[in-house]
Amino acid sequence: MLLSIGKRLSEISLGIILCVLALTVLGLLSLQSVAQHQETTLVQTSFFKQLMLTFPALIGLSVFLFVPRRLIHKTIYGLYFLILAAILIPYFGETVAGTHRWIDLGLFVIQPSEFAKWIIVITLARFLSDHNLEMRNILSLVFPISIALIPALVVLKQPDLGTAIILMTPVIPMLYWAGARPYHMFLILAPFFSVLTAFHTISFTLWVVLMAMIIYISRPKLLSGVVTFFTNIFLGLLAPVIWNSLRPYQQNRILTLFNPDLDPLGAAYQIIQSQTAIGSGGLFGKGWGQGTQTQLKFLPTQESDFIMSVIGEELGFVTVLITLLVFAWLILKILKLAYNSNDRFSSLVLLGIVVIFLAHVFVNTAMTVGLIPVKGLPLPFVSYGGSFLLSSYMMIGLVLNLSINYPE
Amino acid sequence: MLKAENNISKHHYLVANGIVVLLILVLIARFFQIQIYRHEKYKRKADVNRIRAVTVPAPRGLILDGNGLILVDNYPTYVLTAIPGEMGAIEERFQAISRCTGIDSALIAEAYHEYFRGRFVSTRLAKDLTFEQISKLEEHKLDLPGIGYEQFPERIFPSDARASHVLGYLMEVDQVIRSNLIKRNAYNLGDMIGWSGLEKHYENRLIGRKGVVYLQVDARGSIVGDVTDVPPVAPEPGSDIMTTLDLPVQVLLENELKQLRGVAIASDPVTGEILAYVSMPDYRPDLFTGTTPESEWSALLLNPDKPLLNRVTHGLYPPGSTLKMITAIALLERKLVDPEKTFECTGSYEFGDRVFRCNRETGHGKVNLHQAIAQSCNVYFYKVVQYLTLNQWVATAAQFGFGKKTDIDLPSEETGLVPDEDYMDSQYGRWGWSTGALLNLAIGQGDLLVTPIQMLNYINAIATHGQGGPLHLLKKIDPGASGLQPSISIGTWEKINGYLEAVIHDEQGTGHSANPQIPGLILAGKTGTSENPHGEDHAWFVGYGKMDNRMASIVVLIENGGHGGQTAAPIAGRAFKKLFDQQPNTQMVQRD
Repeated sequence: MLLSIGKRLSEISLGIILCVLALTVLGLLSLQSVAQHQETTLVQTSFFKQLMLTFPALIGLSVFLFVPRRLIHKTIYGLYFLILAAILIPYFGETVAGTHRWIDLGLFVIQPSEFAKWIIVITLARFLSDHNLEMRNILSLVFPISIALIPALVVLKQPDLGTAIILMTPVIPMLYWAGARPYHMFLILAPFFSVLTAFHTISFTLWVVLMAMIIYISRPKLLSGVVTFFTNIFLGLLAPVIWNSLRPYQQNRILTLFNPDLDPLGAAYQIIQSQTAIGSGGLFGKGWGQGTQTQLKFLPTQESDFIMSVIGEELGFVTVLITLLVFAWLILKILKLAYNSNDRFSSLVLLGIVVIFLAHVFVNTAMTVGLIPVKGLPLPFVSYGGSFLLSSYMMIGLVLNLSINYPE
Repeated sequence: MLKAENNISKHHYLVANGIVVLLILVLIARFFQIQIYRHEKYKRKADVNRIRAVTVPAPRGLILDGNGLILVDNYPTYVLTAIPGEMGAIEERFQAISRCTGIDSALIAEAYHEYFRGRFVSTRLAKDLTFEQISKLEEHKLDLPGIGYEQFPERIFPSDARASHVLGYLMEVDQVIRSNLIKRNAYNLGDMIGWSGLEKHYENRLIGRKGVVYLQVDARGSIVGDVTDVPPVAPEPGSDIMTTLDLPVQVLLENELKQLRGVAIASDPVTGEILAYVSMPDYRPDLFTGTTPESEWSALLLNPDKPLLNRVTHGLYPPGSTLKMITAIALLERKLVDPEKTFECTGSYEFGDRVFRCNRETGHGKVNLHQAIAQSCNVYFYKVVQYLTLNQWVATAAQFGFGKKTDIDLPSEETGLVPDEDYMDSQYGRWGWSTGALLNLAIGQGDLLVTPIQMLNYINAIATHGQGGPLHLLKKIDPGASGLQPSISIGTWEKINGYLEAVIHDEQGTGHSANPQIPGLILAGKTGTSENPHGEDHAWFVGYGKMDNRMASIVVLIENGGHGGQTAAPIAGRAFKKLFDQQPNTQMVQRD
């Protein structure tokens, strides 16, 4: 029962498409600003490449708009293993820029982990909607977590921490959406927070207080609550001891695993420069193409990861605000579609996509203003990068497709 | 399939909405804080204090000879740089620089456009500033905003040896080179990259890692001070590489070949260490550093003697009689000829409708294998080679590395040509060639082409009975791999080595003049006089000497040098003298 193309087009949200196109144009404008002081031919600029990439991206969107959702549901497990193989392929080739991220197809390189993002989401959605899981049982969370964890570990080893994090982010929200107990998810996440906050006294104290409150509110059995609480504190106290017992080269090895894009010294410099650029932009910015900081070329990845510093400096707070509001509207719109969806599978996919977009927007933007450490993640539709642009447009195609509620 | 109903609670939906709104609000608040609330602070910072990252070049590793003497060193030069965005009126600045330094402003403008990377990235305007030029610039500093100079290390060659082909040279990275590099991000425009020889092969060891210092500069581009909150990254100097070259022998052979065209290489057959590597004519090793006049360049490129050609690895020559041992080994190993049996040489040999000549027109009379090699009789080989098939001969040649690369640690080498049956068929047609081709191969002529480095590999295999190390230029404690290991019986090895000793020591041997007459030194070798289509014959000598437990091998080739015994062998003799006639500990590393 395929809906006619006309019916399909009439039901999809025009707002979503307009948002996406507006963000793409903003990205192209920023790339053109960066490119205008480069002495390269037009064809070599990332502006031109990105412009050319929008065509395959629009095709990707259309394909995902018209593919029957039953077909997606049916083939997703196969796709999952395919993408798992694809992210392993680069390990057999030569490294590009020191990582195993890309597959070289001769004409262009492709980054399969970008497509793993939505494939993992759909796989999880199918698993969680097909099986009537007893979500109140903590053990039924193990399998869904593994679905995301396996590819995430492969990607982490590439090394690409940013993408690995993104692959993991949809898991907890989707479990929550499917009805898992928040307290169980807290149990899973707590050890990571305990270890991470352990290196910063104030954060650790706050975390311990928060942990106590959560345990108190959730009212588990007394013994299990006490054990959980003290195990985490113990972990947190132990972490710095173990860390300090490591030799410097071992520490460095772990640090570079978790921050592969930049050496820590360079990262500090990048954040200072990015913040200065954005802060000096003010309310209306210095004008398109006039950013002195942008044109200083202090950020090696200002076209991809630090595009927000270009926008902030040259176009100012007003544009930044509008951009963030457009993202907020887009994400809330998809969330609403997830809530209103007729079937659980579509709802879960839509929620997963919400999480992916939100995580990208937050991590990327927060990084440029120094809220979180530098992680190499692009801003959806705006940053330069072919695989991610294509993948994002595919996700939008998927959103529009699943937003149509069939009369069952 | 899709029958599971969506049963999300309103509560879940509101929580999710709340999280989205909260995160976006956090971002908006932070942007507001930076861009509006603290705008003035950042504006001042951007206007007044620009942090500039300045790369500190890492000194390139040195290249040493086998005893630690420096072959290639660095010395500092100064380059003139400019920040385009801070220069103001560009043309006027170029004029001003020109007045201070005497450099043509057109040249400065040309360099400016070539190296331009961005408005606020330092761009190179000129190289090799003299001290006077720098002091002049310093005097007029106020008239030259955005202009500065940086230290830039260049290669210098302090030893007496040139060794241009083996050491190789550096090339300045330009747009075209950079876009073709795999590790493109490690190089900026104007950096130097190893472009040939050892400089290229060991680029990764030599290059080191650039450092960065962060400097505070004011709006006019003058340096205000260091940046305290961002620590600098110290440059890591490249590692030195110790080569196997032996400077005195290298210098001797370079001088011997000075006015000639040809090759002289020496090695230790046991380890495979190359002791000398000479390809002549050569070029001055610092040709590619500093500013080479265009005229010198084109003279080199147009020189008919091709000084840029590395003849050791890329020169293709017919090997002539030096390859007769292949024929001898092929026959002995297959027991196809009795080495004591004599054949009559009358100075020429008729085969089919062709006449094949011996190098002694009057003939050698009756000769056995021993005499045929010692006196280099061709007719003997014309006759005995007919016991072999072409592919049998080719198989033995392949065992000694002909037609293959030697895998010496240099960026590239030729493979040469060993014509097997398939090759002959495709070249001349199935019926277009005959056993006559085999007769030519027997004495190292015909379609056969070899590189001198293959000849060194070959004589080393003979000298060590196939037990030597692989040819290499980088000093290693344990070479790891092994060299050529032809599976030849010990009897054959001993016979062949005996014949080669006879070439030098026999009354009638052709290699007499290679003997420096050092007591205790046993020499073995073979001369060759190879016909070629480019004029007079090429003169060859391949051989080795051993004394106590030391060994050294030498290959000498003089293009159009005439008779190998008269031209090439005496040069080898003088090299043997240098190698064996001095204190062992300064000449060669002693082995137990």
